[in-house]
Amino acid sequence: MSYCIASRKLLIALLIGSPLAPLPVAKPKPAGDVQTGKIIFEKLGCQRCHGSVGEGMIATGKDASPPKIAATRLSLGDFVQSVRKPKGQMPPFGSQQVSDPELSDVYAYLQSLGSQPKLVLPSSASPQNGQHLYMAFGCYECHGYQGQGSVETGGSRIGPPQIPYSSFIAYVRQPTGGMPPYAVKAASDAQLADIYVFLKSRPQATPSKSISLLNQ
Amino acid sequence: MAPRKNASFNRRDFLKNVAAGAAVVTATPAARATPSPFEGRNATAPPISAKAELRALPRTEILTAERTGSDFMVDVIKSLGMEYVCANPGSSFRGLQESIINYGGNHSPEFITCLHEESSVAMAHGYAKIEGKPLLVLAHGTVGFQHAAMAIYNAYCDRVPVYIIGGNIIDATKRIPPVEWTHSVQDAAAMVRDFVKWDDLPTSLPHFAESAVRAYKIAMTPPMMPVVLVVDAELQENPISASASWMVPNLVLPSPPQGDSGSVAEAARLLVEAENPVLITDRTARTPAGMARLIELAETLQAPVIDEGGRMNFPTRHPLNQSERADELIANADVILGLELSDFWGAIHSFRDQIERTSRPTTKPGVKLISISAGSLFLKSNYQDFQRFTAVHVDIAADAEATLPSLTESVKRLITSDRKEALHDRGANFAAARQDDLRRARDAAAYAWDASPISTARLSSEIWAQIKGEDWSLVSDPIFLSSWPLRLWSFEKYYQFIGTSGGYGIGYGAPAAVGAALANRKYGRLSVNIQCDGDLMYAPGVLWTAAHHRIPVLNIMHNNRAYHQEVMQVQIMANRHSRGIDRAKIGTTIDDPGIDYAKLAQSMGVYAEGPISDPKDLGPAIRRAVDVVKRGQPALIDVLTQPR
Repeated sequence: MSYCIASRKLLIALLIGSPLAPLPVAKPKPAGDVQTGKIIFEKLGCQRCHGSVGEGMIATGKDASPPKIAATRLSLGDFVQSVRKPKGQMPPFGSQQVSDPELSDVYAYLQSLGSQPKLVLPSSASPQNGQHLYMAFGCYECHGYQGQGSVETGGSRIGPPQIPYSSFIAYVRQPTGGMPPYAVKAASDAQLADIYVFLKSRPQATPSKSISLLNQ
Repeated sequence: MAPRKNASFNRRDFLKNVAAGAAVVTATPAARATPSPFEGRNATAPPISAKAELRALPRTEILTAERTGSDFMVDVIKSLGMEYVCANPGSSFRGLQESIINYGGNHSPEFITCLHEESSVAMAHGYAKIEGKPLLVLAHGTVGFQHAAMAIYNAYCDRVPVYIIGGNIIDATKRIPPVEWTHSVQDAAAMVRDFVKWDDLPTSLPHFAESAVRAYKIAMTPPMMPVVLVVDAELQENPISASASWMVPNLVLPSPPQGDSGSVAEAARLLVEAENPVLITDRTARTPAGMARLIELAETLQAPVIDEGGRMNFPTRHPLNQSERADELIANADVILGLELSDFWGAIHSFRDQIERTSRPTTKPGVKLISISAGSLFLKSNYQDFQRFTAVHVDIAADAEATLPSLTESVKRLITSDRKEALHDRGANFAAARQDDLRRARDAAAYAWDASPISTARLSSEIWAQIKGEDWSLVSDPIFLSSWPLRLWSFEKYYQFIGTSGGYGIGYGAPAAVGAALANRKYGRLSVNIQCDGDLMYAPGVLWTAAHHRIPVLNIMHNNRAYHQEVMQVQIMANRHSRGIDRAKIGTTIDDPGIDYAKLAQSMGVYAEGPISDPKDLGPAIRRAVDVVKRGQPALIDVLTQPR
C-alpha cells in the first residue's frame, strides 16, 4: 500500500476518534480526489478488466465482459455497492482491500474521465498516414501490427479502439500503466488522430467459433 | 589455488618405475659414441655414481600406454549413468574425449559434437528438463568456460542440474607454448564459481572418483544446479598400470528436503480455513510426480492454481488452472501458497517502469503468505537472481514436490464434510470460469487472424492443428508468442513443456530445444521448438548438431526480425525524452537484409522451408516438416511473424 493511502486512513481514524471504529458505510466524502483515485484504480488492478481508462473490457465484447466504467452513471452509493457485492464474475472488493473513502476517490477519477474536454476527431485524419505513423512511432511494438494486443507486452487490444477519441488522446498523453507517454512534442494531436482513424479502420475479428483452428 | 602434484601417477614417476622394474631403459649406440662433455677436460672431476650415470643415459622413450587415467574416469562417468556428453572439442580434455569414444565405446555416454560451448551447456539444460538428470559437458577450463558462462548461469538461475568437466594444464612445465599457456589457468572454476553449486579440482584418480560422485549428488539435490570438476590434463593422460583399480563410490541420491511437520500443519490449517486460497506455482514439478501431487492438493482444496510456467506444473485445461485470472485472484486472496516461486515478490506486486519507478502490492491487507521452496536452502551473494525479499508468514525451506504429499494429507485431515461441500461449490465456479477464459482466449486469438506477417496466435494454432494427434513435447518457452500455446493448447503430460531459461540469457532457446529433443528421441516423441530469430543467431550451429546426430526436432521460426524486447526498451527511452520516437529500431532489429533461416538450416543439412508470410501457406508447410521429423530428422520452417 502506498504511503499516501496509509496516511489518509490514519487521518480518518483520528478524526472519528477511535482507530478501531468502523469506517462510514455508503457515506464517503462527497468529492473524492482524482489523482488518489487514479492510483487506487491501478493498485486494485481495475484496469486489467475494465481497461486502462475504464473503457470496458477490450477482450470479447460478450455479455460477460467487464463494462465501461469511465464516467459511470451509477451514483456513488450504487458504485460502492457494485464493488462490494458485484454481479457476474467480478470479484468482490471488501473494505479491507479498499475503504469507502478510497472508493470515492476512484469514483471521482472515473467521473473525471468523462469530464475531459471533448476533442473533435478532425475530418482530415488519414488512416493511411495513421498506419505509417502507427508503425513509425512504435505502437505496433506492444499492440501488434493490427492493434490486436499482447498479454506479454501488456499492450491491450486497440484495433479497433473501444474508447472515444478524447479518451484515446488523454491516455496516450498520460498513460496510467507501463505504456511510454507520447508527449505533444513527440507526436502531435493531428498525428494521433491519424493513428486513431487507422485503428478505427481495423476490422472486428471473425467470431472464433467460426474458425475451426480455434476450436481444437 | 596451488596445484598439488600427483605423486602416484605422475608420468615421470611412472617411467622411472617402469625403468627400474623392467629394465627397459637402455643406452643407444649413438649415445654411447657421444663423448661426455667432461671427458678430457677435468681429469680430477669426481666419478659419477652408477645411479646418476643411469639417469644421464639416453633412454628409449615410452610412447604408448595401454591405459590412462582418463580410462578410469570413464569408468566413473559410466557409473553415474550419463547417456551423452556434449562438447566442442578441446585439447585440455583430449585424453578424456579419446577414452570416452574408444575405451568407453562411445556409448553411455555417447559423444555429441557441439559447435559452441554455450550450446553444449544449454543442450544439457534442455535435456535435464525432460530427463530429470544431467548429461555430461566437457569444455576447456579457460576459453570453454568463458564461452559456456551464460548457459551455465541460465541453468543456475533455473535450478537445473548440469554436470561440467573442464580441462586444464596445471603444471607450467608441461604446457606446450604458446597456446597451452593461454589456455591454462590457476583456478579454472573461479570464473563460474558464483553461479555453480559446487566445484572441485581432483588431484588423483581416487579423488576424481569421490568428487565425481559427490558432484552428481550435489547437482541432483534440490535446489538443483550446475556443478564443475576441473581435471588436469596430466591426470587424464598419465598412464596407469593395467591392474590399477580404485573404488568408485556407489551413487545414492539424497532424499530431497521435506518441510517439517509443524510448519506443514500450519500451512494446511491456513489453506483449509481460507475463503479464497490461491496456489501459485513456478518450479514445483521436478518430475511427473510433482505434477500429480499438485493436482491432488488443488483438487482437495478446490483452490485455483496460477502457473508461472517455470516447469510443467499443472494441466492447462484443468478446471482449476486459473492462470488467466491471476490478477483478480491474487487481489482477492486471503491465503497464498507459493510453490518454488523464483520471484514471490513479483507475483504479488505490480511494478511501473516510468521515470519514477514505483511498485504496489496487488494483494489485499491481511493476506497470509506461505512459501515452500528449496531456494531458501542455498543462496549466493553476488548475482542477484534471488529476487526481492518477501516477508511470508510460513516459510518452509524445503522441496515443494517432496513436501506436497504431507501437506495434502494434512489438508485432508482438516476438511470437514461441511467444508467439503463448500469447497465443491468453489470448484464448480472455477470450472465455469476456466471455460470462459478459454473462450476469451480464442476470441482474442481471432484478431489479426489473417494478418501478414502472421500473428503469433495464428502461428500457434496452425502448429497445434498439426501436432495435437502426435505424442508431442514443446521444447521452447512460448512467452515471446504471448504465451499462445499455453492459452490455446491442451498440456497434460509432464514432458509437454520445459519451462523457461531461468536467467533470461538469449542464446538458450535453440540448443535447449535440441537437448530436450535428444532426451525425447528414445521415447519417440515429436519435439516442437518455436524458435526466436535473435536467439538462434547466437549459436546457429546447433542445427548442424541436430542434423549430424539425427535429433528429430520441429523448428518453427518466430521470425519477427528483431530483438523485439530491446526495441520496446529503446522506445521507452525515446518516448521518455520525447525525441526520435521513430528511431527505436536502430541497433535492435535484424533486418535489411532479413536473414534467410531456411537457407541457413539447409546449409547445415536440415530440411527447411520459408520464409512464409501468408498464413494460408503455413499449415501445409508444417505438415511436411512434421513428416520429416517423424522420420527422425530435424526440420525448420521460417515464418515471418508479428512481434509478439
